[in-house]
Amino acid sequence: MMIESSNLAPRLGIFARVLAALFGGYALAYCFTAFLSVYLPLIRADRVVYASLGCFAVWTAAAIYAFGARSATRAWLVIGGLALLLGLAAFLPAELGARP
Amino acid sequence: MSLRQSMAGLHTWGGLLPIWLLFVVIFTGTLACFDKELERWMRPGLQTPGQMQMNADDVRQWLKNNVSEELHAYWMHPPTTREPYWQLGWEEHDSGERGRKLFAPVTGEALPDTLGGNFFFSLHYQLHAGTFGMYVVGLAGMFMLVALVSGVIIHRRIFKDFFTLRPNANGQRAWLDGHNLFGVIGLPFHLVMAYTGVAIFVASYMPAGVQVAYQGNPLKFFHEVAGGYHREELEQPGGTPIALERLLADARAQWDGGEVGWISVHHPDDASAVVDIRRRDPSRIGSPQDTLSYDAATGELLNVQQAGTAYRAYIWMAGLHMGQFGGSLVRWLYVALGLAGCGMLIGGLQVWLRKREARGGAGIALVRSLNVAVLGGLPVACLGLLWANRLLPAEWAMRQTLEGWSFSLLWLAIAGWALARRGRAGYRPLAWLAAVLALGLPLLNLLLVPQGHLLASIGRGDWALASVDLTLLTIGLLCLLWVRPRTQREARTRLAEVTP
Repeated sequence: MMIESSNLAPRLGIFARVLAALFGGYALAYCFTAFLSVYLPLIRADRVVYASLGCFAVWTAAAIYAFGARSATRAWLVIGGLALLLGLAAFLPAELGARP
Repeated sequence: MSLRQSMAGLHTWGGLLPIWLLFVVIFTGTLACFDKELERWMRPGLQTPGQMQMNADDVRQWLKNNVSEELHAYWMHPPTTREPYWQLGWEEHDSGERGRKLFAPVTGEALPDTLGGNFFFSLHYQLHAGTFGMYVVGLAGMFMLVALVSGVIIHRRIFKDFFTLRPNANGQRAWLDGHNLFGVIGLPFHLVMAYTGVAIFVASYMPAGVQVAYQGNPLKFFHEVAGGYHREELEQPGGTPIALERLLADARAQWDGGEVGWISVHHPDDASAVVDIRRRDPSRIGSPQDTLSYDAATGELLNVQQAGTAYRAYIWMAGLHMGQFGGSLVRWLYVALGLAGCGMLIGGLQVWLRKREARGGAGIALVRSLNVAVLGGLPVACLGLLWANRLLPAEWAMRQTLEGWSFSLLWLAIAGWALARRGRAGYRPLAWLAAVLALGLPLLNLLLVPQGHLLASIGRGDWALASVDLTLLTIGLLCLLWVRPRTQREARTRLAEVTP
């Protein structure tokens, strides 16, 4: 079935937002958890549990933003960019996160 | 596109996609509030009142006499008011296979197997599909959180609309009011349940923290967070085990008379065997995590668990979700709010349908068929399971499997019928069926279970058991009320509703 070209752009946009909400949102939640698990000034067990329990709120917020953003590109830039920054900060210092 | 428009789109489609799965999760979760009462109802051997003669060592002896394979671990739970029986579970060392038995209070005999009330609980959190099902339910929980948040955003006048119910307005408007009413009444509950629900399996869903802080080693994480005790296997035969009852007496003394909950024995045949005794305290939302670990042979106290704040917080959240505190008051409150959740889903589906029925659109027949298949099919299949439990002879070894098949086949048959009728089937035939099944069960009990039927249970003041039969009667009567022949005037009003 042919999709009319006038319909194609908005459909691709929605598809990109769905992906941003599902995968981008999970990636952001993952990197957020990793980031807080490394940098919170708490003992290790509390750092990890606090960060992990908060991750679902981050994923929810990301999913809402993926559809609320002005454009799909913007949604991906913000969600993907934040995830990348938090992820780099969390995974680059290899020793820091393992402190007790 | 404004924010409200894009949120409306997200709410509509992101809500529609998982809605039937969410109905299964919320409906069975509501039933699981009374899983232990259903367990007792489904096992007539438990319904005779009497003093428990059995102790922990008798349970261990049964295991020794009846299971010959080497065990990785076994665990047992003493009788309580809600669960007046010994529970025993075990895992075989080589195959990893698990077994479960319950023991009658008076005779100490192993009860015949049944799916029991546990069936609804497992369906609720993993759809009887193991780890895969657990992830599917988790994703559905995330969809629910997103639908709740986007629903609040598109709700223009959340306070004013709450007091607006227009049952005589046109269909779509009335259903929207209903959807809003149930959604707003239950909103705090639904948010908390969805959030704590996904949080229970946080360690599986979100491994990031373990990855960066524990080198990806979850066992190290569990050990540090929970403060539990673990002893590596020595691969040497163990000594003569000490009597469990001695350890239980010691544990009660350590807790100043506190109650004993789960007792678990790890690698019982090895020299490293450990007995863990966990405290039970139903007066707490999250039960206290101060397990005592003993050497299984010498009875030496090896470790007193001291869970950190983080773990206590997690246990509190999980406890809030499970609703095992607060007695029947909290359980009935959870049931009411769970039903409000079902009402919210049904209302939402009707709004979706009415809006599109008016102007036509794709997928209407599919959505309508799925509604009948799931919203109607699941409750009827649950009633069918209770019938199978009553009618299949308890001594059949295959009973558990056959109960499962009865549930699945009945549901599949209803789903097939609903799809074949392309959604024009309607709920009335199912309501008739539900009424017959629900009203029939208490009657069947009168014939089949002399100690468990309504007259007997009310007679001895066993309201927990009687409440199952009474609820079935109520459901049956409500279904009858719904399908009753309507007078001409009522029919006219209904006609006016659908044709504005």
